[in-house]
Amino acid sequence: MKQTIPRQLMLFTAAGLLLTVWAFPVIWGILTSFKTERDVLAYPPVWIFTPTLDNYRAVLSGADSILPNLWSSIVVSSTATLLTMLFAVPAAYAIARLKYPGKQTSGFYVLVTQMLPPVGLVIPYYLVLQRIGGLDTYSGLILIFMTFSLPFAIWLMVSYFEDIPLEMEEAALLDRAGRLRALWYVILPQVRGGIAVTTIFVFLNSWNEFMFSVLLGGNRVRPVTVAMFNFISVEQTQWARLAAAAIVAMAPVILIGLAAQRHIVKGLTVGAVKGGGRR
Amino acid sequence: MTQRGSIRIEGAVKKHDQLTVLHGIDLDIKAGEFFVLLGPSGSGKTTTLRVLAGLESLSAGKVFMDDEDVTSKEPGERDVAMVFQSYALYPHMSVQDNIAFPLKMIGQNQSSRNLAAQQAATKVNIEHLMDRKPGQLSGGQQQRVALARAIVRQPRLFLLDEPLSNLDAKLRLETRIELRKLQRSLNVTTVYVTHDQEEAMTLADRVAVFMEGKIVQIDTPRNIFARPATLTVASFIGSPPMNLLAAQWQGSTITFKNGGRLQIEQSTASAREVIFGVRPSDLAPSAEGVSATVELIEDLGDNVIVALLVDQQPIKMKLPHTQLIKENETIKVSCQPSTVHLFDPLTGQRL
Repeated sequence: MKQTIPRQLMLFTAAGLLLTVWAFPVIWGILTSFKTERDVLAYPPVWIFTPTLDNYRAVLSGADSILPNLWSSIVVSSTATLLTMLFAVPAAYAIARLKYPGKQTSGFYVLVTQMLPPVGLVIPYYLVLQRIGGLDTYSGLILIFMTFSLPFAIWLMVSYFEDIPLEMEEAALLDRAGRLRALWYVILPQVRGGIAVTTIFVFLNSWNEFMFSVLLGGNRVRPVTVAMFNFISVEQTQWARLAAAAIVAMAPVILIGLAAQRHIVKGLTVGAVKGGGRR
Repeated sequence: MTQRGSIRIEGAVKKHDQLTVLHGIDLDIKAGEFFVLLGPSGSGKTTTLRVLAGLESLSAGKVFMDDEDVTSKEPGERDVAMVFQSYALYPHMSVQDNIAFPLKMIGQNQSSRNLAAQQAATKVNIEHLMDRKPGQLSGGQQQRVALARAIVRQPRLFLLDEPLSNLDAKLRLETRIELRKLQRSLNVTTVYVTHDQEEAMTLADRVAVFMEGKIVQIDTPRNIFARPATLTVASFIGSPPMNLLAAQWQGSTITFKNGGRLQIEQSTASAREVIFGVRPSDLAPSAEGVSATVELIEDLGDNVIVALLVDQQPIKMKLPHTQLIKENETIKVSCQPSTVHLFDPLTGQRL
């Protein structure tokens, strides 16, 4: 396509507008996190102010520290992600490649849980967890996270497996690899990118999760998304500290996003072009 | 000396749901033979190859290798190597690792499998490419890697699925010759699938011609060309294909619809309808024979294809040079009695 000057100008204008809309709350949040509570509530808003690190000090140490909550988030998200991938990769391979009774429908039922609104599931989940003593425990929350991350991960991984030509595997079988070694030596190395992308998506989904965490967690297991609301109380809202906590909670997400940007875009377009997903 | 690699297929039937792909195939392939499965697409030749590889199971029938029943054996247990049409190289491995992969799977140590990979690569002239990845190779080089991966293990049977079809014309001819030499020097039974009759003719010790899930003829390339068993084989083998004309046969005389007559060697007691066949290269202009109108003369340099009309039916004649024929003139053509093929118009069988 020809890159004419007016065309480029239009593209940059559109991109700039989108970026402003997207970035405004983030920038506002960053600014707020460096303000005193006085400056936050000043009207009209002040743009020039003396930055303070007090808010970060408060959310990272002392009575209001969110560090334990960050730790909770890390434990829940990483464990849920690890377990999810451990089950999703073989399951997706089976759906993509093996013949077994009920194959047609099983692929569909994997996605059924994704079709229900989460808010409709939270009460049954609460009752189940209550009965098995899983409320406000790491294992309980991880289990619930997996109910939505596992189907999503399987669905995404299936498309990566289906992208690999069948002959590749047949060649490995004839080379005496057998199914498991064909999977290990020939298939898995070729879906490494897919595994990375899926892992990132699953981790981010778990990290950002709020509703299940707030209703099924508690004082012992309180991920950072929930803990931020410590700064909102009936008497007052500590906006500056809330903003600082939010920035701290967002940091890992943004870092992962930047590091894996290239993979993620590739992962989103997989299947769009035949054979375009691989290398 | 009894050599490894004799193959036998008995009554092989393959059904995909309602569709029958193989209607009872019988094959007997000798050890060390270069055996070509030839046929148009969808004729069941690739399915037969995959049955030999163990990648497809049979609905009925048996497969024997060295007199051992391998029908229910897994692909890895059959000691066969295959070159796929797409080559199916492992894209994340170097050429070296691709070739050595079958040896790694049988537990050979690194130094001995690297040595074997090096030797296999040398046989197909890619020893200088060992550190590359398949994505960095040309089509011809990829094809050689696939070959090297097949020969490195010294299996009892090579299966090749249209291995030359993704190469350009010039490379295809060169590779064809090398392939034949390689097979001779390794002396491993080879089953080769192609739809290209020229490949089949030049490579094969014997050819099985497939049509619609059945084998219609198994013979040497020479015999298949000289004595095609059916009308379909006759029209499939040879370029340009055999001329086929409806005619009357009585005694040892063939009478064409336009009144032209030819004497042949065979004779019949009662008059009957036949399909008369003659190769374009066996036809020649003559003083006596069947009259035909010259439609078009195609000069190919070393020979000339003359398109003729006999009683509104197009036929072709292949001549060494133009001689004195001009377009639009009517000439007489005939052939030696020994070069005539006769087929039953109803069954298509050779008479």
